Amino acid sequence: MSAVWRASRAAVKRRRLQTFVLGVVVMVSSAMAIATLGLLAAVSGPFDQAYDAANGAHVVAEFDSSKATAAQIAQAANAPGLEAVAGPYPEAALHSPSETGDHPVGLPGSFTVVGRDRPDTPVDTLELSAGRWATGPGEIVMNAPSAIGPPQSESERAVVTPDGVKLKIVGYATSASQSAGGWVTPDQARALHSDSLQMMYRFKEAGSDSALKAGMSAATKGLPSDALTGTSSYLAIKANLAKGPNTYVPFLTVFGVLGLVVSVLIVGNVVSGAVVSGFRHIGVLKALGFTPNQVTAVYLVMVTVPATIGCALGSVIGGLVGGKLVRQAFFGIFGNDLVIDKATIPTWVYPVVLIGMPALVALSALVPAMRARRLPAAVAISAGSVQQTGRGLAVQRRLGGSRLPRPVSLGLGWPFARPGRTALTLSTVVLGVMTVTMALGLSASVVKFGQLETQTDKIQVRIDLNDPKWNPPGPTHSDDQVFALLRSLPGTEHVYAETALETRMTGSSGIVRMGAESGDTTELHPDLVRGRWIEGPNEVVVSSEFWHQHKASLGDTITLDSSEGPQPQKIVGESTGGWDVTTLDWNRFTPLSPVQRAQSFYVQLAKGTDPQAYAAAVGRTDPGLHATVNGASDTIEKVIISVVSTLTLMLITVSSLGVFNTVVLNTRERRKDLGMLKSLGMTPRQVIAMVVTSMTVLGAFGGLVGVPLGVLAHRIIIPMTGHGTGLDLPNSLLHVWNWPMVALLAFSGSVIAALGAYLPARGAAKAPVAEVLRTE
Amino acid sequence: MYTLGRYPRPGMWTALRCRWVRVIASVLPMTNTGGYEERDVVVRLTDVRKDFGDYAALDGVSLEIGAGESVAVMGPSGSGKSTLLNMVSGLDRPSTGSVVVGGEDLVGLDEKGLALFRRRRIGMIFQFFNLLDDLPALDNIALAGQLIGLKASAARKRALELMGELGIADRKNIYPASLSGGERQRVATARALMNQPSLLLADEPTGALDSRSGDQVTQLLTDLNQLGQTLLIVTHDPRLAARCARRIVEVADGRIARDRAMDHAVATEATR
Repeated sequence: MSAVWRASRAAVKRRRLQTFVLGVVVMVSSAMAIATLGLLAAVSGPFDQAYDAANGAHVVAEFDSSKATAAQIAQAANAPGLEAVAGPYPEAALHSPSETGDHPVGLPGSFTVVGRDRPDTPVDTLELSAGRWATGPGEIVMNAPSAIGPPQSESERAVVTPDGVKLKIVGYATSASQSAGGWVTPDQARALHSDSLQMMYRFKEAGSDSALKAGMSAATKGLPSDALTGTSSYLAIKANLAKGPNTYVPFLTVFGVLGLVVSVLIVGNVVSGAVVSGFRHIGVLKALGFTPNQVTAVYLVMVTVPATIGCALGSVIGGLVGGKLVRQAFFGIFGNDLVIDKATIPTWVYPVVLIGMPALVALSALVPAMRARRLPAAVAISAGSVQQTGRGLAVQRRLGGSRLPRPVSLGLGWPFARPGRTALTLSTVVLGVMTVTMALGLSASVVKFGQLETQTDKIQVRIDLNDPKWNPPGPTHSDDQVFALLRSLPGTEHVYAETALETRMTGSSGIVRMGAESGDTTELHPDLVRGRWIEGPNEVVVSSEFWHQHKASLGDTITLDSSEGPQPQKIVGESTGGWDVTTLDWNRFTPLSPVQRAQSFYVQLAKGTDPQAYAAAVGRTDPGLHATVNGASDTIEKVIISVVSTLTLMLITVSSLGVFNTVVLNTRERRKDLGMLKSLGMTPRQVIAMVVTSMTVLGAFGGLVGVPLGVLAHRIIIPMTGHGTGLDLPNSLLHVWNWPMVALLAFSGSVIAALGAYLPARGAAKAPVAEVLRTE
Repeated sequence: MYTLGRYPRPGMWTALRCRWVRVIASVLPMTNTGGYEERDVVVRLTDVRKDFGDYAALDGVSLEIGAGESVAVMGPSGSGKSTLLNMVSGLDRPSTGSVVVGGEDLVGLDEKGLALFRRRRIGMIFQFFNLLDDLPALDNIALAGQLIGLKASAARKRALELMGELGIADRKNIYPASLSGGERQRVATARALMNQPSLLLADEPTGALDSRSGDQVTQLLTDLNQLGQTLLIVTHDPRLAARCARRIVEVADGRIARDRAMDHAVATEATR
């Protein structure tokens, strides 16, 4: 073994540059693999950990207390298949409560309070992040992340119901099951006119919707059929939380796979090159008595050792960058500290990559290594001096007769001399161009998505109304006066007002986020995925998230709490983003809003109007109006674009290294040719031109093939991303290409190739030739 | 004895020689070499020293080679003769001293300038031919012409003429791997002559050839010199030196140990 080790070490020393390239390529690919696998694992990992730790409910059920008693519900819950239950607890709805104190809690418009006497129940064990549990009348514990808890728990803050009942906030807790907006004592819940009972279940089999459905039918057996009024599945919560990482998973997976493929291609190229250029070396080894297996081992060790070092370094980098990315993936959208704390790259990812990557490298080196193994010693030794014939000669001859400058025509002929190497290099360039194309497409789609979300193409100025309670001074104008004021300003084209609120939906235990709008929404409404915009009363448009979560269809009727009680609303359209539900029934729903009036106004300006000047003019008319120019990019978009850009840069680097490696191999093999050409008077610049041309032609071809592949990948990834995040994306997100852009992308192949070829070309141009010309 | 066969046709060589004279004449006025006597000196090395680290490959070498001369540089391995050739061909630069070839001071030229100098002023023949394997013989020769800007058709035409004169026209479409050693060296010689150089440099031109092919190449070089081509040959082979050279420069330890005209009697002895 020591002989193999010594021979391998000598081979590595002879190819320091290629060994370095190999190590860097494997390092980059390993980092990408760690990040990708880490994120894939994190999609379900942290949630499952957090959920299990908190004994999260698989199903939170709501029963009509007039149809089933607490005893009946508890009795039915003795059914087989149940792991644990908690409840039943009295449950009441708080319709548009107000709050007191020095800072807003971010109180929802309407929410559920549950009467629980303790937080550490067998199901949905609550974690108090601040304060204490509610133990007496007039006390409430709010469901809120710890980030806003402690400072508020120290001051006098309270929730005041419309009936005037004051509930002092004594603590903050986080429910993994998201079972309620707040908790009070059971007696307090009953005093708040509780008309339903909450029961929480954990099942032994809970992996799918059908398993949960079966479990629930067992757990409610014997109860009146109409007693169960609503359920919430943990799978929906999990899907909701997974949306963050799911935004990244499709494109990260593609980038990861591309990285691995490029690595394999480059490793194959490096080892093939080593075998081809080391024929004589192989012959000498065999003449010395190396067995075929030992020769194979020499070539495998030669690449596996640098690959292992590169992989180890890549794993460290991947762990650091990937860990940050995983936390960002969860935080970027939800900011849910319950999950973020546990969102890390699982430990198993590291050994998988640390073993898998070098194994993959060794596997890709095996084919050329086997070639070395099969080579007879005599042939190997003589092969070192035998001139290659028959490869691409006709092409070279035709090029020799062309009108092209001779260095260019000679360079054009190079790729045909080594078809195998050319194919591997071409594949690397194709993947590089594909990556650039896909990345640009993704970024363009993300930007377009941001425009759709913020409607920057339609709305130029947003005016937020100060809340006099928390952010004085409040506006001096009423909603109608603000409308009139804005319409009177020069440049105003269309205006609409919006207020955000939270309400409850019959049949669902969760809250519904609603946007009530008024004004010129016909002109300014967002693009719809399906259906139409609201045309009459009792019609709503729902978001994709709501659409999928509630398996909605056009024409469905949902019943929402309004200031006048439950109101049936017909779904007439679906929008990609926005509120769960958008309504134009301003008077009926706005009273549920914390401010009970418009929170924001959106203005479309006439062409040529300066948004900055307009915003300043609005501010001068009423200090309670805070006008800003619409167009700020979303954080998640910035994160996605920066991640995509980083990965693209990494893959371009790797692709360029692939080209670099090929050019190094070519120039070393042709060092005698280069020396001769220089002795004939080829200038350094002509040598560079010749070498760069040899790769640029591959780059041009790679561009032509890579661009359509990149466009195809983009067309696959965008819908996958939409699906992963539970959004139906409009087709317009795919239409981001234009001819100049495509032409530029096709040119990117040549740029990648030229980038990779330039340095070794310069090296070849500068290399001393005198010695080479005299030796054989 | 090498039989000339179709080579050389007297008229052709006269024309070639006239062209070389015209080329040299067209270049010389652009240099600072002054009068007629200066023009006769093709190579002038003055106190040339070349260091490789602590080791001096050349140490104070001064040498002049006149137009039409045929000089053989001889010496043991490591004596500095190849380094001397590299200085003259512009493939390497001296550490100190001056190298003027064809009126051009090579020390003052940058890499591009040296390349242009090699392209226009010198032709080189190597021991191992240094032909491009993926070009047929004709294109290997034409390549040199294309580098000075000749169109492919014109370069191929001139290359074919040279191949005809050297008796290898029928090998024009053959790739180097399928040529004999002698044929390869004749292709290399044709390539070296393609741009009508003022100086032909040969580095062990018969070193890789069998004796018959070696004789053919030796005769070729002798004939070229007789037609006026200035020759500088680096060789170990006393037979080659004796037959081709009219002057022997012996190099030892980086210095010129001896510079003498070839003694006719010695030459006769050596060629036996």
